[in-house]
Amino acid sequence: MNNIATQRIKREFKEVIKSEELAKCSIKVDLIGDSYTELKGEIAGPPDTPYEGGTFFLEIKVPETYPFNPPKVRFMTKIWHPNISSVTGAICLDILKDQWAAAMTLRTVLLSLQALMAAAEPDDPQDAVVAKQYKEYPEIFAKTASHWTNVYAGGPNKNSDFDTKIQRLIDMGIECDQARGALSTYNWDLERATEQLFS
Amino acid sequence: MYMLDCLLNFIRRVLDTIFSRRITNSLLIFVKTNTGTVVPVGLDPKWEVRDVKEFVAPKLGMTPEELMIIFAGKELQDSELLEEYNLAEQTVLHAVKSRRRSFKRKPRVSTCIEEDEEFDDTKRAAVNFYVYCTSPCANTTVGKIRVRCFKCKSGAFTVDSDPKNWNDVLKPKRITGHCEISQCTDGEVGWSEFYFKCSEHVTKGENDEAVALHLIRNNLHDIQCLACTDVRSKVFVYPCDDGHVTCLECFCEYAVSRLRERRFVFDNDIGYTLPCPAGCPNSLINQPYHFKVLSKDHFEMYERFATEEYVLKNGGVLCPQPNCGAGILVDDDCDKVSCINGCGYVFCKKCLQGYHIGECLPKEEQLIIDITGYSVDPKLVSQSKWDDASKVKIKVSTKPCPKCRTATERDGGCMHMVCTRCSFPWCWLCQTEWTRECMGSHWFS
Repeated sequence: MNNIATQRIKREFKEVIKSEELAKCSIKVDLIGDSYTELKGEIAGPPDTPYEGGTFFLEIKVPETYPFNPPKVRFMTKIWHPNISSVTGAICLDILKDQWAAAMTLRTVLLSLQALMAAAEPDDPQDAVVAKQYKEYPEIFAKTASHWTNVYAGGPNKNSDFDTKIQRLIDMGIECDQARGALSTYNWDLERATEQLFS
Repeated sequence: MYMLDCLLNFIRRVLDTIFSRRITNSLLIFVKTNTGTVVPVGLDPKWEVRDVKEFVAPKLGMTPEELMIIFAGKELQDSELLEEYNLAEQTVLHAVKSRRRSFKRKPRVSTCIEEDEEFDDTKRAAVNFYVYCTSPCANTTVGKIRVRCFKCKSGAFTVDSDPKNWNDVLKPKRITGHCEISQCTDGEVGWSEFYFKCSEHVTKGENDEAVALHLIRNNLHDIQCLACTDVRSKVFVYPCDDGHVTCLECFCEYAVSRLRERRFVFDNDIGYTLPCPAGCPNSLINQPYHFKVLSKDHFEMYERFATEEYVLKNGGVLCPQPNCGAGILVDDDCDKVSCINGCGYVFCKKCLQGYHIGECLPKEEQLIIDITGYSVDPKLVSQSKWDDASKVKIKVSTKPCPKCRTATERDGGCMHMVCTRCSFPWCWLCQTEWTRECMGSHWFS
């Protein structure tokens, strides 16, 4: 990797390590291997959201042209959010695309993602299905997001109703994640989810 | 005997001093009068201005008292030493007959100090102006500032005050002055016009100008680079409100990365340029000569892209032949385009295939007709032609930009394509302009 990018990332890495947010366990970065081209980010689910209590891991890839181009960031932890793909973890956030500026850093990116988790932008969706649910059935959305946080990110809120429904599909021979995805998509309507899975 | 030796030594030393002062410290200076006469003289930098007047006056048929010496917009005072002005070989000094000024002009300077950082007086010695010297240096060099009359362009001009900042230097009619050419301003207030010369080669005369690279500055305040966070001696100051700073190396890196993605901005007044990398509004680099700092190859790339952008912006087309790509401005009414100054290819403006009469054909059929001109079995042809094989390869692995038809390969990432040639945003799946619909339903799959 070129010098500018490496040097800059090294400094930013230190910035995050020294930051207040790290002290409060709200954001964190780790190196993957010796090079600074790939990093692992970590953000805590913001309080008073369905993501509270969860820990979300991010894949951060630093391009050769950093900081003139944004880092490529993806959620490794599965998450139910209108601006994040529930399948791939791809993120829809303007600063990670055309609104990126060289003055932004790993720390500001992680904090922006945390802000995005606290305030979704359903009109600029990454996941159309989630966005629709967010707008039309906010309560189901909140429960689903909280359930996903519990299962994938270590959140505290267990939902036995959802677990039962997933178990029903697993009994029919459906794989766990797939069952959860289908049920979440169909607002936990077991019949429609089954229909879709077997059609 | 001893006394004699001492005396001889002394005389020799005196002679040596005089001799060496005359020869080794002699500077060739051109003295130009307001009648246009140029007198070349050898001057000693240790001389006072008074000495110069005494030396030059007889040659011009004047008395030293009548003479006024002007250099870079300043009248030189009798007691000043020449070397204080750092005159270079072949500098032009202006000698004019001084006129008793009937009134004392107050300096009239329309400067807004807040607009730009002031040139720092205490550090003035360290201030270098950087310029692009086209010839003979062909490089970014240290430059020197000079002034002339805005109206008649004569260098026999004195300024009423020093420029305080870059705006005073770059914008016209900011600093008043007095033109010594009697017919010019006739005692009225004149405006100064600043320009730059390269100080790294012996000047080739008064017209030997260089382009000011006013955004490249010495890092007097030890500001760290926005991108790499290093503190370097030479920096690039972006023309945004905050005056963000990167080091020159990062400026190049920034420009090259934007160039490779064709993400420069085309501005009608400025040309092909870039904004501040911190994303500030109204921050376009307003002097494209700054891109001369890039390597030769990258600057050539810059020039090529800038030209193509200009052609496309003005409704022109780029010749579709491989290794040609010449820009052609076309006639609105005619679909037939000939690459006159390039490869000579004649093609259709709409489908960018070889010229044809009638409607454009779908691409596949076109391909075959192009190659043969008569009817053959398309399958057999495509299997047995080298060029065709390569065309087929391009065809299966690429899709054309819906706007400019540039064959585009998608090597990963999402379905949102941005044409590398015309910047048109399009959807890989729909092969039409990128919409919110595409974003919602099939952005990533």
